[in-house]
Amino acid sequence: MKLMLKLILAILFCNASIFAQNKELLYDFYEIPQSLMVNPGVKTSQKWHAGIPVISGLSFQGATSGVTVNDLFANDGVDFTTKVQERLLDVMGNKDDFSSTSQIEGFNIGFRGRNRPDDYYSFGMYGEMDIISYWPKDLAILAFEGNGGNNIGRNFDLGDLNLRGEMINVFHFGINRKVSTALTIGARAKIYSSIFQFQSINNSGSFVTTLGQNNIYESSINADMELQTAGVKGFYDIIEEDSGTTQKDVTSLFTERVLLGGNLGLGLDVGFSYELNPQTTITGSVLDLGFINNSKDIWNYTFNGSTTTDGISVFLPEDIDDVNNDLWQELIDDIDEALPHGENESSYISWRPVKMYGSIKYDFGQGGGSVSDSCGCAVNGGSGGGSNRDYYRNSLGGQLFMMKRPRGVQAALTGFYQRRFGRVLSIKGTYTVDKYSFTNIGLGANVQLGPVNFYVLADNLLSYSNIADSHYASLQFGFNIISWNGN
Amino acid sequence: MKRLLYSVFFTAVVLFLTTSCTEEQDFGQIDDLRVTPTLASGLFYMESDEATINAAGALNSFYSQEINFDAFNEQYVAERLLEGVISYEMDNTTSKELRIIIEFLDEAGRPLDREIFTIEADPSETVVREVSYGPGGKSIDILANTSSLRVLANNLGDGTSVSSAEDPKIILRSGAEFLFELQ
Repeated sequence: MKLMLKLILAILFCNASIFAQNKELLYDFYEIPQSLMVNPGVKTSQKWHAGIPVISGLSFQGATSGVTVNDLFANDGVDFTTKVQERLLDVMGNKDDFSSTSQIEGFNIGFRGRNRPDDYYSFGMYGEMDIISYWPKDLAILAFEGNGGNNIGRNFDLGDLNLRGEMINVFHFGINRKVSTALTIGARAKIYSSIFQFQSINNSGSFVTTLGQNNIYESSINADMELQTAGVKGFYDIIEEDSGTTQKDVTSLFTERVLLGGNLGLGLDVGFSYELNPQTTITGSVLDLGFINNSKDIWNYTFNGSTTTDGISVFLPEDIDDVNNDLWQELIDDIDEALPHGENESSYISWRPVKMYGSIKYDFGQGGGSVSDSCGCAVNGGSGGGSNRDYYRNSLGGQLFMMKRPRGVQAALTGFYQRRFGRVLSIKGTYTVDKYSFTNIGLGANVQLGPVNFYVLADNLLSYSNIADSHYASLQFGFNIISWNGN
Repeated sequence: MKRLLYSVFFTAVVLFLTTSCTEEQDFGQIDDLRVTPTLASGLFYMESDEATINAAGALNSFYSQEINFDAFNEQYVAERLLEGVISYEMDNTTSKELRIIIEFLDEAGRPLDREIFTIEADPSETVVREVSYGPGGKSIDILANTSSLRVLANNLGDGTSVSSAEDPKIILRSGAEFLFELQ
């Protein structure tokens, strides 16, 4: 039990402390090639780019809408059990969640079509881990307080158990096309190679203990619960076997799964940028419209049924001749039979968490030629002659982010200001409101030193004074080589 | 000069990001966590009509049974049982005085404890008894070592009279609320 609790808390808070999904700083930051990954229809101006393998794009985001690490683990002299009761159990609801996303780019390459300079092609590979666990409020209260005392009559909702997680490797290819001077569109096809996936998202049922009709207490349970996993058992078996080649076997299985050897899926990203007038641009994108067909290495656990019990019952004269003294075991067997639980290997489809971005941006402070005057591509750059492709020093706007989560759509609203200092430096500041924080101020910088591009984007800066007390933390950075003129 | 300025700015940003700090955290506190739920459950329910009691005759036992009862002596439960209360309620609407004895037996069948309930003939009040185990009450070891219950129901009256009450019965209810230390 102690180990289990430690494991649960460690998973929740490790996730929360390093990893989220909204990339409001990267979105429409078109000086950074990776902005294509959040809007395949973003304005592009480079001739080609190549991400430096493994370090071209790393992002870690973590979020908790309820308790923070500091709330529980601060060395404040308060009894830990009291902190758990007052700061976790009494405060958090079943809509609160711990979520995390991390992405690491394996490689990312883009180039402009030789015969079709209006098209910018990009492809690459990245790994992603995404986990969300809603706070199982009623189950936690049942575990901590029990069904007795003040909880007699309380209906514990078994549907509070709601979690999903996956680790995948993604191979992608995208086309970004300038359709007209005002419109750029893009699409990206994805093949998902699943390393593992688990979900328990459609649970329902309840458990209640009341003052009984016959006996003093009567407990009723009805449950329809399932945990689906794909790709987990393979790793579990290796670790369980502990044959002395565990590390090698895990690495081998991991590599196989990364390289399309596990469960596969398909996905699509689409996006656009449209200039309403020379200084105003609207953009939008929908990411990860896709699924994974989980048919290999499936290991599901189900628990369903319903029953009511008030203990051992003897009715006379009906039971007068019943000399069986195993009434307790019979009771246990009856409950067990009424609540069948077991494992199966049924395949299932898991849907990717669909994300959507939208933005409106106003440019001002004309600064002369375009940032990509010398790119030689003459596509989205200023030398094409469109007035909006003139170089503006400042951009001001707003962004909307929405993401499909197991318990509905999660949204974030961002206001941003971007300032460009010549070709070398561009910075972007954001203020974001979402369920995790009302004080999320982010800052991003993109530095272009010759062909070398470096960017760093960090969210919720105010929380950096005590990162453990943050409800949301995010860091993205990467290195690229960008060519504007064939160098 | 410009490049120098940019470099300084860049360095400042990196420094800002890398010098973020946090208050001291003590993750060892998790060892101090105490999870002590109170679990409630119905235990044993017995009901008998008056005809069955009469059939056994005057001053005779109308029910005697030893029932395997491992609820508390499962190792996981026994080790974590802290304290608790077993509640009993007994109603008698029959025309005779009755006695019910519940004995707690260990694995060898030796009595560890017993509760004796005697109730007057109808009209009588509900007999209510709460027996505490653990600090301030009986030893918690009684429950931890209980492997079976012996239930004995005796008629202390005659074997012919019939109560004028509608559907006369003797009913014994019991339930438990126990505090466990899971962590």
